[in-house]
Amino acid sequence: MQVVIFVLIFSLSSIVGASPDPEQIIKEMENLYRGDRSKAEITMIVETPQYKRQMQMTSSSIGEEQSFIRILTPKKDRGISTLKLDREMWNYFPKINKVIKVPPSMMMGAWMGSDFTNDDLVKQTDLTDEYQLSLESTDTEYTITLVPKELTVTVWGKIDYVINRALMIPKTQRFYDDRGELIRTLVFSEPKQYGDYTLPSRLEMLPHNKPGHKTVIVYDTFDLNAEDVSDDQFTLRNLRSRF
Amino acid sequence: MPLIIKLAFRNIFRQTRRSILTALSIGGGYMLCALSLSLLEGSYNNLIDLFTLSNTGHIQIHQDNYLDRPKIHKSISNYEVVGEQLSSNDEILNFSYRIYSPGLAYSDHGNQPAQIKGVKLDLEKNTTLIADKIREGKYISNAPNSDGYYSAMIGTGIAEGLKISLGDELVVISQGADGSVANDIFVVGAIIGNKDSMERNQIILPLVAAQEFLSMYNQVHEIAMILESYQDATRITEQLRQSIPELTVSSWQQVEEGFYKSMQSDKQGNTATMGIILFIVFIGVLNTVFMTVLERTREFGVLKAIGSRPRTVLALVSLETCILAVMSICVAFLITLPLVYWFANAGFTLPEPIDIGGIAFDAFKGEITFEVFFIPALILLLFAFIISLPPGIRAARIAPTQAMSSH
Repeated sequence: MQVVIFVLIFSLSSIVGASPDPEQIIKEMENLYRGDRSKAEITMIVETPQYKRQMQMTSSSIGEEQSFIRILTPKKDRGISTLKLDREMWNYFPKINKVIKVPPSMMMGAWMGSDFTNDDLVKQTDLTDEYQLSLESTDTEYTITLVPKELTVTVWGKIDYVINRALMIPKTQRFYDDRGELIRTLVFSEPKQYGDYTLPSRLEMLPHNKPGHKTVIVYDTFDLNAEDVSDDQFTLRNLRSRF
Repeated sequence: MPLIIKLAFRNIFRQTRRSILTALSIGGGYMLCALSLSLLEGSYNNLIDLFTLSNTGHIQIHQDNYLDRPKIHKSISNYEVVGEQLSSNDEILNFSYRIYSPGLAYSDHGNQPAQIKGVKLDLEKNTTLIADKIREGKYISNAPNSDGYYSAMIGTGIAEGLKISLGDELVVISQGADGSVANDIFVVGAIIGNKDSMERNQIILPLVAAQEFLSMYNQVHEIAMILESYQDATRITEQLRQSIPELTVSSWQQVEEGFYKSMQSDKQGNTATMGIILFIVFIGVLNTVFMTVLERTREFGVLKAIGSRPRTVLALVSLETCILAVMSICVAFLITLPLVYWFANAGFTLPEPIDIGGIAFDAFKGEITFEVFFIPALILLLFAFIISLPPGIRAARIAPTQAMSSH
């Protein structure tokens, strides 16, 4: 009953136009790509002035604690997998049959040579817990500015999170260093209908300190209510399994 | 024979004992200089040979500024075309292709950082002393084994750190040129060098395996070559720069800049020491010449009184000193020649090897060249002449009346 009253009060407050809670919005955004049990087929394209590499992979997750990624192509990388459990992360390399734990110091390192960091993948940093949030809104978008709390260990001095107000989906994320210099931008585009949800299908990471570098993630399929995703997929044993 | 030369000879032999002593100090100085020059040149030649043949080669070719700022993508893609060009040059004896990347090596006993080096096996063993450095096992081949694993030659540091030996599997992880995670298993085929050699942290792979591993198909980072002698390096480097303008050609002096600079400063230090030896020698000689002039004040007075020009007196004193120097150098040369010859051929072994730039240097050998004998002789003669000038000028300026009244 208390819950119902709380929900009622909450929805009323948003109807009467009280300023929305930035924490709530960020949480909502961060959970968009997770769902309770989700499954996706993803194409990742890494572009640098020297090379262009394309990878196909599958990804599944349960909540924000458990996720699993497995590379399907190119052939050379087939079977390389990443498992995230709570705040820990492992990579598995089938060729050498080795599981390597990603140490906390490597969390800001590149994931498989892309412009996404391991931290981006596992979302180890909880944005709402570790950052002070402030909100600005226009008719079309919310801009939430995240500034790290005093005790937060991070390389970012500020993050601007821009949200499409109509669709309530992320639009861009801009990451600044502690000197206020823009380091990278993540652009969300091409919203697509995945079941009951509308989500940007294309994520483009642009590191500004590395001209000519770009990583694009495209969600080819995305099932946010995947019944067949079970807990036993998120184990070190499954990480090692050949497929 | 002109009178002045006769006079000079007579004066030299008038005080035989003193002349012999002066000659001994000049001759001794010459011997010391020639011997140390021979040893210096010889030991540096050996060291440079050892250094260049051990790994560097005499000339290297890279893409862009790979040498200063190595990046995996700064690679040479048309390396076989360059190779053909190098083969057609008669002055280039051998060359080899190489790939480098940092990596992490794993065994069941742990992991440690390693330098991955891919080499064209058949070419590399003709270019460097790699095959001679094998301590255990034998030179690996290009072909993978029945399980599909390539062989690797590993440095002692890797073998000891990971507690692996011949036939064991070695897991290597690195970053591929396409950004992928390079990971593979190799079988230890040979262990090379000792724990002090520069290969101690290297994993040497067949070129084809390294190219596959690092996703660097048909690319290399380095072409290293050897010439007849390291002394030709600068000239041929210049030649290659003209013929391959799109790549960076560097001689061993540029590749091993640290080693070369420390060698140069060491050489300068030795030159300074040699200068001090010669200075001491000539202080003695100067003293002798002054004594001779002082002793013969009356004689010079007479010479001038009977009409000798000051110039003649100066020439006489200089000539005496120079003749004495030439005679001593000639005698010293005859004694030094067999000594230098022995140093150049036999040399002597150091009880404790000296480590210079990572290379153990255990034997002193001399060098027998024209310069070794000629340079000290020239310097000594020049010094003898310069030293003879102040006493000579003094003698030339003597007023006959004053001189003849002195005792």
